[in-house]
Amino acid sequence: MTAPLVRMENVTVRFRGAQVVHAVNGVSLTLEAGQVLGILGESGSGKSVTLKTLLRLLPESRTDIGGAVEVDGRDVLALNPQELADYRGAVTSMIFQDPALALDPVYTVGEQIAEAIVRHEKVSQKVAMARALELLELVRIPSPARRLKAYPHEMSGGMRQRAMIALALAARPKLLLADEPTTALDATVQIQILLLLRQLQRDMGMGMLFVTHDIGVAVEVSDRLAVMYAGQIVETGTVRELLRDPQHPYTRGLLAANLHGAKKGERLEAIPGAPPALNSAPDSCSFAPRCKHAQERCRATLPPVVELGEGRVVRCILAESALAAA
Amino acid sequence: MAQEAQLPTTPDRGGAGTPLLQAKTLTKHFPLGGGAVVRAVDGVDFAVLKGETLGVVGESGCGKSTTARVVMQLIPQDKGEMLFDGEIVGGRSLTLKEYRRQAQMVFQDSYASLNPRLTIEDSVAFGPTVHGVSKPAAILKARELLTKVGLDPARFAARYPHELSGGQRQRVNIARALALGPRLVILDEAVSALDKSVEAQVLNLLADLREEFGLTYIFISHDLNVVRFISDRVMVMYLGEVVEIGPVDELYDDPRHPYTRALLSAMPSMDPDNRTMEAPLAGDPPNPINPPDGCRFHPRCPHAQTVCAKVKPVLARTGEGAREAACHMEVAGSGHSRAPKLEEAA
Repeated sequence: MTAPLVRMENVTVRFRGAQVVHAVNGVSLTLEAGQVLGILGESGSGKSVTLKTLLRLLPESRTDIGGAVEVDGRDVLALNPQELADYRGAVTSMIFQDPALALDPVYTVGEQIAEAIVRHEKVSQKVAMARALELLELVRIPSPARRLKAYPHEMSGGMRQRAMIALALAARPKLLLADEPTTALDATVQIQILLLLRQLQRDMGMGMLFVTHDIGVAVEVSDRLAVMYAGQIVETGTVRELLRDPQHPYTRGLLAANLHGAKKGERLEAIPGAPPALNSAPDSCSFAPRCKHAQERCRATLPPVVELGEGRVVRCILAESALAAA
Repeated sequence: MAQEAQLPTTPDRGGAGTPLLQAKTLTKHFPLGGGAVVRAVDGVDFAVLKGETLGVVGESGCGKSTTARVVMQLIPQDKGEMLFDGEIVGGRSLTLKEYRRQAQMVFQDSYASLNPRLTIEDSVAFGPTVHGVSKPAAILKARELLTKVGLDPARFAARYPHELSGGQRQRVNIARALALGPRLVILDEAVSALDKSVEAQVLNLLADLREEFGLTYIFISHDLNVVRFISDRVMVMYLGEVVEIGPVDELYDDPRHPYTRALLSAMPSMDPDNRTMEAPLAGDPPNPINPPDGCRFHPRCPHAQTVCAKVKPVLARTGEGAREAACHMEVAGSGHSRAPKLEEAA
């Protein structure tokens, strides 16, 4: 068996400052080449921080990162500045929620894409521009030759998002990190971008980590899902497994809160309370204060990591009985 | 003026048959200079019945928030009028001040809509004191309302907005809206900024309050699942116009306007074995500056014909129930080849 494209082993991320924030608390995940893993979670669950760790985008001076992060055989945490610059864009690339912020307002879209190509492939500006045009065609921007000379503010939201995808793909990365790329878009545009990403990922054989808070969006693009809560992955499995047979009470609550198929007038099974503050590393189940199944054990120690099958992991004592019953 | 202990309740004047709110050809244009005009809301007609929840859906730039602001009279309309329980809003028998007591609004950004220098009980009590309630009585009422929205006054009343979570702040905004004893509450993306698990709590709260206080809601959202869950009727807007309006199940199960159909099929499938394979529409929603002639949807409509580019379709009754759609395919004799034949209609 070959090594997976991404391997994160017991990764912790802690921000120092006036208050210490334990943003990620022991995340382990793997992603095979050409696969899509959706990371689902709410604000503050650590999903975006996990993603940024893979590109070392967090401010180094006040971030402590523990554990192991490997992408395509490289130890990401050990890269020196030169290696890191080569790694970003060429091996791993990222698209963000707000393309208006991610693109540089004073350069044309073509210049920005060409810059990335020149940086990584040492080709002439002319060749790079021709490649940039191909990339705009690839992401299906209408009249691409004209858009090459357009500034970001001259484009609509959906088109800017396509331009950012083109920029991210400029150096043919093996891993694409997507941080809520469709959240700011209208419904009819969101589905276009999701279908485009799915197709590009398949055609280029890229691995993709797709972070979202929207379970419907995650289902549309992912092969497997990881649900995050308070800086930990509480459940992973294939999309089918998580949708049809969710094991963790938090996953079940999220599915119910999506309202897909909820009957009008029925009371929603809302999860009470709010996520915890992350000022200390967890020493018990972080979800226990909101969980209706919580027992003494949940509040005393960390929940067990229960492996129900290949790639199917649940961090909950309930899964132990499910495992015993099986 | 003698200060009243509490605000008097507002009686139902027109009876159950009169809609609580009727909007007639509401129009709001924003001039941009140089002759360009954003036609944000362009001749919108609708009614909100007493005790119902009217959901309003549409994409950015469709005019749903401008409609809400005009209904709330935060901005005046250019044309058209509104009747509240049969009386002209801002007229002799229903002054703006009195109308604003009976209609209240909750906004998307729970933080920006609270005064950061007021404690939350002061925020909730502020409106009633403006309307002549004494400060102690208003504070008493504020605490009662905070309890109703699930915030224990002993713990929360003296806190400032920045000391609360987003979900808690939105509960404060709801309590504040209710402090004046309104009959109509406009919720403009009021749950959209909340996390899913918190959103469900607030939706349950809204349902309880509607029941308890006999409220009528206008619920604006981009989330079609939420709108289906909470609404009795739904209004779909596109580029400043209403394209379809009707009872929620009819509209979701059998959309008549091609735009409604596209919007609904753009929803994620939630089924890994049956993923969406094709996007229902190409491109972005167009800009409401200089919208297309005729039917505003025709440049993106898969069924567009010559008539659609020339003649503006009007909202007309379609199907069996109380549904209305603005599409030439629904009107006999419109000149569209897919319109019902005239004999059938007669």
